[in-house]
Amino acid sequence: MTVLGSNELSAAALPATPAIRGGLLDRFWPGVSLAPSILLFLILTLLPIANLVVMSFHDITWQQGRATWTPVGLRHYAALANDPLFKAGIGNTAVFATVAVAVQMLLGFFLAVLTSRVFHGRVIYRTIFVLPILVPGIVIGAMWKLMYNFDFGIINQAIGLVGMMPRDFLGDRSLALASVIVVDIWHWTPFCFLLLLAGLESLPQDVFEAARIDGAGFWQELRHIILPLMLPTIAVTLLFRLIVAFKVFDEVFLLTGGGPGTSTEVVSFSIYRRFFTEDRMGYGSAMSVVTLFGLALLIIVAQGVARQMRRT
Amino acid sequence: MSDGRIDRRTALQMAGAVATTSLVLGTGARAQTPRQVPMTIVINQSPWFDGFRKIVELYEKETGNKVNLDVNPFAGSLEKQRNSVRAAQGLFDLLIMNGLFYAEMYHGGFLTPINDIDPSFKLDPAIPTFDDTVFFDPVTKTNSSKGKLMSVPINPNIPLLYYRADLYQQKGLKVPTTWDELLANAKALHNPPQMYGIVQRGARGPSDVTYDWFPYFNGFGGELFKDEKAGDFTVTINSPNGKAALEYYVRLAKEAGHPNTGGQAQAQVIQNVVTGKAAHAILVIAAWAQMDDPSKSAVVGKMNLALPPSAPGFKPAPTVGHWLGGIPKNVPKDRQQAALAFMNWFQTYKAQVEYTKAGAPPVRLDVMASDMAKEPANRWMKAMQEGLPLGRQMWTIPEGAQIVAITELRLNQAVTGEMTPAAALNACAKEIHEVIEKGGYKTGRLPDLT
Repeated sequence: MTVLGSNELSAAALPATPAIRGGLLDRFWPGVSLAPSILLFLILTLLPIANLVVMSFHDITWQQGRATWTPVGLRHYAALANDPLFKAGIGNTAVFATVAVAVQMLLGFFLAVLTSRVFHGRVIYRTIFVLPILVPGIVIGAMWKLMYNFDFGIINQAIGLVGMMPRDFLGDRSLALASVIVVDIWHWTPFCFLLLLAGLESLPQDVFEAARIDGAGFWQELRHIILPLMLPTIAVTLLFRLIVAFKVFDEVFLLTGGGPGTSTEVVSFSIYRRFFTEDRMGYGSAMSVVTLFGLALLIIVAQGVARQMRRT
Repeated sequence: MSDGRIDRRTALQMAGAVATTSLVLGTGARAQTPRQVPMTIVINQSPWFDGFRKIVELYEKETGNKVNLDVNPFAGSLEKQRNSVRAAQGLFDLLIMNGLFYAEMYHGGFLTPINDIDPSFKLDPAIPTFDDTVFFDPVTKTNSSKGKLMSVPINPNIPLLYYRADLYQQKGLKVPTTWDELLANAKALHNPPQMYGIVQRGARGPSDVTYDWFPYFNGFGGELFKDEKAGDFTVTINSPNGKAALEYYVRLAKEAGHPNTGGQAQAQVIQNVVTGKAAHAILVIAAWAQMDDPSKSAVVGKMNLALPPSAPGFKPAPTVGHWLGGIPKNVPKDRQQAALAFMNWFQTYKAQVEYTKAGAPPVRLDVMASDMAKEPANRWMKAMQEGLPLGRQMWTIPEGAQIVAITELRLNQAVTGEMTPAAALNACAKEIHEVIEKGGYKTGRLPDLT
């Protein structure tokens, strides 16, 4: 008896005409069927990026209701090195992404392990833990801005009860970035939690049972089973979060507007200012292209590291 | 009016002369407003927006014409306006433009001169021209009454000194006319955290600390450019007068201000005033509507208004932060006419009275000179009348969006102590000079302050 694979089966079910079997249609059909998607991808993704790159070599001004494009070569790219907002933005974004994502991963992992070991009311815990991610960004900004308010905020009222002086969470240069990071951790930890919990729940249970029969404790399970098996999930979650964290905008826009000074300026916000508020489309494009390049590089490096870790 | 400003006596004479005519014609003009196609107004969510919304509702009720309002935050409104006027066909028929960014609409050639839509349209003589910002001469690229009428004033926003009249009475204080007097009064009432002597708008935002500081800057005799009207754009922000103004601003914050002055945007300043935590604030007139509203204020009947102080030898200089209504080129003729019909109705005396009753400051001087000013609720009108003729533009060039981004950062850094006032002004001067030079203006800059 010959067992056919599904492809072979479907091929066998087709009329055995030479034009179809192994013919032109077979060879080109995958390309033809994918063409609309590829075209859509090119139009929606590559074309805007190409336009951005072209814009970055121009100054765009408006006269008589018409745009005038003046070529400037690499001038915009050269000016980036001396832009105080861009430099501050790069530094703050790196700190923001590193600290926020690290804490979110640890907290998310801890909550996921905890929830996976709870047998009663697991759905309730899961629902509670994911609530922050369901709140729209604009509401989060308004809510935390009120909570952080120096004069009327609940946090200062609470610390006042224990005799502490009110703190200026969003207006003090030494506290502002940390305060924004706290909000981001609150907002995005559920994302890490959800992905890591899904990963945990899909781990093969027989491995755990065997380990327990052999007398392994929780820490041994964690070190020798959970972490190695969870590595692909952890890597993907980390990558997703890093990408989103590097693009942070709404929390900064709503809470601090990049201030005080440049203490919470982040790259996306600097691009927004230069591109939209100041209407410097050429210069803003150069900022976007450099940021895009940096992010792409980060993704490639992160994927390489993850691949290497999986191998070892 | 020869220098483009409004002479107070002339304004009041004009107001008196046109008041009666307007009273007679006002209702008639409304009744004659023909049916128009539906139109859309793009506007920002400012403290005076509620009054504007009510007047639009009244317009719809009286004329049967349909008006859609597209309401946005300050920066969002500008972005939507830019996108609309740059498209092949615009979405918005009437742009409500701030004094900061109307210039880019004029210079970019995005608006239709109003008389191209209706050659018979005239700006009502009771409405000031706000330093001639309603006009634009495309040849000289200046705001000159010799140019074309491009817009109609929608809101006469200027900042005035809000002070706690009840506390002044208790302490026997005199309304300040100089900066030194303001500092002394603010210190006398400063009792943090229950009461701040003054709350300043020192945050870095779309236009927070810049707009707040400019009455101090001009009131100390400072000028951004050497002679903007004559085309000399030499940057003079880092003059000794500028330094004195910024040092005073920072000192006021430190000695009698909010501990978080660098984080106070307009909303927080208003919040502190209406909750009774601020003895003074230099705030836009548009915020007044909340002061006597018992549902929003704990200081009903306790606030009063005066002109912002000035240094000896200089005039008070409230910064014009007005709003203008302009009609884009890229919308169909019938929608342009609908927008103009609304503005024609809006500038009538009766519409402006209703606008005032709805809580927005009127743009007509004769409304401010009317019996309404005698009502206790309208006690702001006197200061407003005095302040409007003294109103100063921050700048009139389309590079305003770039200039304000620079000043917002540097002034905020001075307020938060990240930079000294001199260093902040030197940085402003250097960066503004780069923008102006790139724009092709005749420019230069002063030597750095030490």
